[in-house]
Amino acid sequence: MGKLIAIIKREYLERVRTKWFAIATLLGPVLFLAITVLPVLFVSRTKASVESTNITIIDATAAGLGARVAAQLRDTAKTTPLVRVTLPSELIEAESLATRAVRDKSREGYLILDSLTVQGSKARYAGRNSTTVPDMSRIGNAVEKAVLALRLEGTGLTQSRIDSLTRVDVRLEKTQLSDSGREKSGAGSTILGLVVAFLLYMVLVLYGQTVLRSVIEEKTTRVAEVVISSVRPEILLAGKIIGIGGVAVTQMAVWMASSLWIGANVVPMFLKSRSPGMGAAAADSLARSNDLLSNIPTFSLGLLVALLLFFILGFIFYSCLYAAVGSTVNSESEAQQAATPVVMLLILSAVFIQPVALAPQSTLSAVMSMLPFSAPIMMPMRMSLVAVPAWQVAVSLGGMLIACVAAIWFSARIYRVGLLMYGKRPSFAELFKWLRYS
Amino acid sequence: MPDLAIDIRGVTKRYAEHVAVRDLSLQVPRGAVYGLLGPNGAGKTTTIRMILDIIAPDQGSITLFGKRHTDNGVLDRVGYLPEERGLYKKMKVREVLKFLAELKGIPGNEAETRIVTWMERMSLKTADKDWGDSKVDELSRGMQQKVQFIGTLLHDPDLVILDEPFSGLDPINAQALKDTVVELKARGKTVIFSTHIMENAEKLCDAVCIIANGEKVLDGAVSAVKAAHAGRTVVVAFDGAPDAAVDAVLRDRSMVANMDDQNRFLELELADGATAGELLQRLVAAGASLQRFERVQPSLHRIFLEKVGATGVEAGMSGHG
Repeated sequence: MGKLIAIIKREYLERVRTKWFAIATLLGPVLFLAITVLPVLFVSRTKASVESTNITIIDATAAGLGARVAAQLRDTAKTTPLVRVTLPSELIEAESLATRAVRDKSREGYLILDSLTVQGSKARYAGRNSTTVPDMSRIGNAVEKAVLALRLEGTGLTQSRIDSLTRVDVRLEKTQLSDSGREKSGAGSTILGLVVAFLLYMVLVLYGQTVLRSVIEEKTTRVAEVVISSVRPEILLAGKIIGIGGVAVTQMAVWMASSLWIGANVVPMFLKSRSPGMGAAAADSLARSNDLLSNIPTFSLGLLVALLLFFILGFIFYSCLYAAVGSTVNSESEAQQAATPVVMLLILSAVFIQPVALAPQSTLSAVMSMLPFSAPIMMPMRMSLVAVPAWQVAVSLGGMLIACVAAIWFSARIYRVGLLMYGKRPSFAELFKWLRYS
Repeated sequence: MPDLAIDIRGVTKRYAEHVAVRDLSLQVPRGAVYGLLGPNGAGKTTTIRMILDIIAPDQGSITLFGKRHTDNGVLDRVGYLPEERGLYKKMKVREVLKFLAELKGIPGNEAETRIVTWMERMSLKTADKDWGDSKVDELSRGMQQKVQFIGTLLHDPDLVILDEPFSGLDPINAQALKDTVVELKARGKTVIFSTHIMENAEKLCDAVCIIANGEKVLDGAVSAVKAAHAGRTVVVAFDGAPDAAVDAVLRDRSMVANMDDQNRFLELELADGATAGELLQRLVAAGASLQRFERVQPSLHRIFLEKVGATGVEAGMSGHG
């Protein structure tokens, strides 16, 4: 037991004392903030994109729809859309003219309104920003409102009445309801879920690789032989995984604590200090992002425990595999190739992070969160997004436990033999033989 | 039955392709300096690794100080210097040594005082410079060897196992190692080392075991081994090159079984039935101008070559040596 502690202590202290650890631990939260908060801010800011108004509106409706759309867009920005009224027969000519304007960069794009638009079925937009979601939804909204206003006018309502009727801007506030009745902001949950998933993925990759490198170091420097003349290789492996896992948990704990602190104290201050002197639109978007940020749910205790549990199991699983790989190779460059199967399992999990985050209740999500190799990433993410049925959590945990036992059994055998084998990297057939040695 | 430090009985270790050690038995008395001799690939390292429970034998038993070597705490009494040396490169010397001591069950604070003593003794800590706070890879090769050596002895083991301890040592460290072995013996410790350099073994060892192809060829006290092979070896030297008549005598297979030209003298092994007196008479009759004619005890080297022959060398696999 004393020897196991000596190994854990060495693995832990040697890593925690490095500069790399200090830097990564301190800068981590700043990085997370950049990843999580800045996109939210950016998305809110681009709501009132200038580009959405710097366009040509080609109006072939003969009903003055173009001017109405322009008026809707003008509401929120300084630049004004250029309205060109044409006959339907001259539409092609007008379009090529507008295309030229886009090419020489005087305009961002053009919007074509015709009889179909008045009927309410379609309008056409072409431009450089046609993939910018906020711009497109803004223009689409403006067209819809203009068509609505036109129809209302047809019913004989006065202009001021129409204006007041169409001035609608509903903001959908999303709240996630779970079985226990706990409430969370939908958008906030998604962000939290993604943060949790990427954090787990990152830590599993980083610290799995650390185990790999640590095994290779002991093997290539031949210090392994001295160590296992004093302790059994299983103890060395266990001490290594516990020690490095401890480093990972330490780092995650610091990251989470400081992220939450920054989220609670620094970000609101930062947002408030920027408030005065902003336009109405900017203030509005700020209100939205403020709202979003304040809705980022705090980690509940249950989620935290689940996170830790899944991380520990996932870390044991992956670091055992990494250790087995490390013991079969002779150098770090060889390890890159040999570790590919393990890396593939992790990447496969990472690829599904987004699909699962967007549809956490789907069958795919349920399956991914119960497969042992992707469970440590997917299940905590799903749990932070939706209320996962208890049986799924149980299946997931049970599966991982079995997978961990298998990984420990497998890698302890490979490790024991591999640590003293130098020269050619073993084939799968040889690895199979190693399993039966001890 | 004498008090044994190591008692190996009928140990066999097979690998997929070959047998590394076959039915090996050897006894090392407590307090002896014992040499495990053999060509590369003979099974020396495999034997040592089995003693240390790094690998498990397929058959046979190993006892250290009368207890099974797998028993709790038994291996804490053993110090091991592997053939391929290495330490954690990025760790401070003092930390590495402390870690190695802790692995042998020495508490940290106790280890620290011992480390200082040893480092001073090995001149790694002097009035001007303390290498204890340097990282291992900042040390020269010679200094790293010293650190490793300290790591082997820090827990004051009763049995010290050195695998090819002289390979790669500079003359100064080799001398220090030799002195330490002698001192360990004086303090009643048992030292076992493997080597394929017979001169070292001959000088240092009380007893030896020669193995080849994983099997024991001979073992016993060095004096006994040499005595058993005595009387068959003659050293001769001539003034000038021997002429044809003398050469004919030397090449007579009924007289000389084996001849080894050592440049300044010839080492001859008498053929069965031949005697030294007979050889001397024949040489004088042939008109040889003898500078030296001496019956000597054979060197371990000679016995080794005689016993192992060319067949024992080059066989086996490296890495299981």
